[in-house]
Amino acid sequence: MSFAEPLPRESKPRGRMRRRLRFTWPLFFAALAIGAFIFYYVLTLGYLDPAVNDFVQQWFPLVSINEALVWVMAALGLNIVVGYAGLLDLGFVAFWAIGGYVAGWLMSGFFDKAHVNVLGNPAPFIVGGIHINFWLVVIAGAAVCAFFGVLIGAPTLRLRSDYLALVTLGFGEIIPQVFHNGDDVGGLNISNGTKGISPIDPVKSLSISQQGVTFKSLGPFDHLSRYLIFVVLTILIVFMSLRLREGRLGRAWLAIREDELAASAMGVPLMRTKLAAYGIGAVAGGVAGVAFAAHVSGVLPDRFQFSISITLLAMVVLGGMGNVWGVMLGALVLAWFNSTGLPQLGDTFNSTFGTSINFPSYSFLFFGGTLVLMMLFRREGFLPESRTRLVLREPERTDMEALGSDIEEQAPELDGMRIGGKSGDDEGARL
Amino acid sequence: MTSSAPAVRSPQLAVRARAVAGRAAAILVLAVGAVWLAVNLFHAPTQFFQSAVYGLRNGVLYALIALGYTLVYGIIELINFAHGDLFMLGTLFSAFTLTGLGLTVSSPKGWLGFVLVLVLAMIFCASINVTIEFLAYRRLRRAPKLAPLITAVGMSFILQFVGLRWNGSTPRLWPSVLPAGHFQIGGVNIDYNILVVITVTAGLLALMTWIVTSTRTGKAMRATAQDQDAARLMGINVNRIISFTFAMGGALAGAAGILYQQTVGTTRYNAGFQLGLIAFTAAVLGGIGNLAGAVLGGVLIGVIQGLNDGLPYAFGQEWSQSVVFAILIMLMVFKPTGLLGQNIGEKV
Amino acid sequence: MSAETLTQTATPAALLAEEITVRFGGLVAVDSVSFTIPEQGIVSLIGPNGAGKTTFFNALTGLYKVAHGRVLLGGRNVTGLSPSKIASLGIARTFQNIRLFGLMTAEENVKVAMHSRLKAGIVRTVLRTPRQRREERAAHDEALELLDFVGIGKTADEYARNLSYGDQRRLEVARALALQPRVLLLDEPTAGMNPRESAVFVDFVHRVRDEKRVSVLLIEHDMSVVMRVSERITVLDRGTKIAEGSADDVKADPRVIEAYLGKSGEEVGDDE
Repeated sequence: MSFAEPLPRESKPRGRMRRRLRFTWPLFFAALAIGAFIFYYVLTLGYLDPAVNDFVQQWFPLVSINEALVWVMAALGLNIVVGYAGLLDLGFVAFWAIGGYVAGWLMSGFFDKAHVNVLGNPAPFIVGGIHINFWLVVIAGAAVCAFFGVLIGAPTLRLRSDYLALVTLGFGEIIPQVFHNGDDVGGLNISNGTKGISPIDPVKSLSISQQGVTFKSLGPFDHLSRYLIFVVLTILIVFMSLRLREGRLGRAWLAIREDELAASAMGVPLMRTKLAAYGIGAVAGGVAGVAFAAHVSGVLPDRFQFSISITLLAMVVLGGMGNVWGVMLGALVLAWFNSTGLPQLGDTFNSTFGTSINFPSYSFLFFGGTLVLMMLFRREGFLPESRTRLVLREPERTDMEALGSDIEEQAPELDGMRIGGKSGDDEGARL
Repeated sequence: MTSSAPAVRSPQLAVRARAVAGRAAAILVLAVGAVWLAVNLFHAPTQFFQSAVYGLRNGVLYALIALGYTLVYGIIELINFAHGDLFMLGTLFSAFTLTGLGLTVSSPKGWLGFVLVLVLAMIFCASINVTIEFLAYRRLRRAPKLAPLITAVGMSFILQFVGLRWNGSTPRLWPSVLPAGHFQIGGVNIDYNILVVITVTAGLLALMTWIVTSTRTGKAMRATAQDQDAARLMGINVNRIISFTFAMGGALAGAAGILYQQTVGTTRYNAGFQLGLIAFTAAVLGGIGNLAGAVLGGVLIGVIQGLNDGLPYAFGQEWSQSVVFAILIMLMVFKPTGLLGQNIGEKV
Repeated sequence: MSAETLTQTATPAALLAEEITVRFGGLVAVDSVSFTIPEQGIVSLIGPNGAGKTTFFNALTGLYKVAHGRVLLGGRNVTGLSPSKIASLGIARTFQNIRLFGLMTAEENVKVAMHSRLKAGIVRTVLRTPRQRREERAAHDEALELLDFVGIGKTADEYARNLSYGDQRRLEVARALALQPRVLLLDEPTAGMNPRESAVFVDFVHRVRDEKRVSVLLIEHDMSVVMRVSERITVLDRGTKIAEGSADDVKADPRVIEAYLGKSGEEVGDDE
């Protein structure tokens, strides 16, 4: 191939068209969020047909939507690590767990010797403990997770990518075990062991109901108010993801994902940049942890299993690594499917065909299969970033390139050798 | 940023200081470990050796599983996350087959059945492993590294699902056909089945070593591991060799499966996940890609874990997993190449 | 040989490499090579395949560990620093087999190299403060200017992987210049170019040197380029420096001829 001949160019959206595409997804999700709010609000008023109410309660209960939002937050955090910076993290559940326990410690009567109350809202009949305002705890959870992200990242991020995956996996196994066994750490009870910490202080927030807009402690059934809180947190994380993506750090992440070596040769400090991805991803994981603790009003160590890390990874992969909107869609769909869709579909199937198949037990197959099939047939995800759409579909290197670069990589003393290039004899003769 | 660095401090000094600090920390860790062992040995010698023996039995099994990881990693640089679950299927296969054949007690007939099922389990796991490679990993050989890794994680889940459907969600206890009972050396009980485990493993290791070092296929394996493209140019059927490697790893996992099931007795659908992780740690400890290293690492991890679980002054069994992963993380920090691994150097 | 005298009399060095040795296990890939790039000079490194040229490059830029010797950049010892630190201190390079960030636009590629000069941190980027915006705008302008400088201003919004081969080479230079380096290392920049393009490239290198005030070190295989562009040539063979001097000196050096053609090659040398 002559070098002068330009490679075929990919057509790509330009100018106004691109700008319009840029706003499509944000607007879509904004409309979805607002629409859902109005819909569920009207539903609580009871104007709608009871049949509609039943259907929604069965297939789209607000609880499962709230839970899905928590998954969205965590998946967006993982997306920064895996999608933006290209680092595989298989222990993301650790940050979720840490966030959850930060909420457990700072928003409950667990430390009953302490009497701390910072704008907090202790649950009735709770004496003592630390009670800190939910929003401050969100910040604290984020900070603690960022700290742990950096702590675990600092020694390990210099490792090769697959080793990194393994170390993060180990980390994701250790942290829950620490909480699991944490009722007796040298005689100290730091986590209440398998019993977990419960109840967690109710969040004080706006409540919209027939009585109008009030500011009160949210009870276990005030899902609509919690929905609002979770939407706000999600928006914050989305905002952070998008802004970072477009700035200096986002470019550096992308560069590292593309070619680590070239990035370092262009003055991008690898460790620091990767650590930033790790820390920021952990922040989102921590926020999700705090939110989840508020959602179920407690933390239990045995919830934090490896399968959560994998489910998060499946969400990122399914939606489209690196694309905030794709990951959001992937997380919403999978979370809903996991909590409501699969059991409901199973019930419908069983009652229609008179079978008794335990559908939720197929979730292993479903998530494993999703990962495998996506990697085999649609590696870029359903809603990929415009740029990844190009590459992930094709092999990383052609045979020839692989041959050439491998020879160079493995035997540095062979430098100057090029496949298909001029041989040394040419130059000698010309000399 | 540039100006703030003091000009006097030579950068080499900083680099060297970091290396010294790293080595000092590593020595400290080793010293703490040695003190821990010494204290326990002095305090409770019988318990020490007893724990070590049980640890050795587990370690030998870890070694068998670790070999599967190391073989596959050595040849296509993939952490085959599904390997532990393959081992789990091996345990289920042998449990169901032996029980299905009505072999539930230790008798000459049972021992014969054990040998038969050992071979069958090896074939069973080998074929599954080869199938997985053929269906999934093969298509992703030139894809970005993340892709096969994620696929392997997915495969692990699929195999766990099979185990879940097969065995149910709770652990099940199975009878053993191996001779029960034990003999004593200096107050330390040594089970007969430990001897079986060690004998079978030693035989398999000898066989594997012979295949890798002395056969044409073994030579082709080593060539493929070094450079796939070059091996292909030399007329080696790389696909066939990779399949063979997966078959070998699978067979070892199958053997580990039946040995585990026969000695430990219980198994469940997620047993492979945890054991697999431990085994992988063992492979890394020994130096991934290095066969002798995998065996050494497996035995070491097994013994360390056994001591942690059994000694009076130790974290105890509920921290078993954390101890193993802490070892893994420290290893990654201080010596990523492992005990016997050679320094490959960064690829530039 | 005039090598020693040249080192003594040259203008103050932009980059000084002292007795650089690089080992791979037992193999000595670069053996005690000393080397100077004068301020705003253009020098070349040549040698047969496997001579250790790229290895030497990699040692200068911190990608390989230097077993012995040191690298001074404008008098400052940069040996043993990380590649990114060395790059931000002023050694920029291109790669023999182009290593652009394929899925980033040409403009983004150039901006990546400004990373160490830009200051916006996490908080400022998320809040998009006026300062961060000013910085980004300046980076944008500078990137476009650099792309214009290398003659591919029109491709700013194209993904790097979609550029033609020649444009990719130019983009690599633009990206390297975005570091505002003191020294620019070009690893076989004319590989794959035809003679006419190579000739244009020679002028380009001069222009880069004059307008961006950098010193240039080239690894080249195309002797016509080497002879025309370099003020001084260093020849490596099997990891050691075998000759240094002007184009004519090097051309006439029997050791160089031998290195390229082997012992029997002397006859060919006589023919020339």
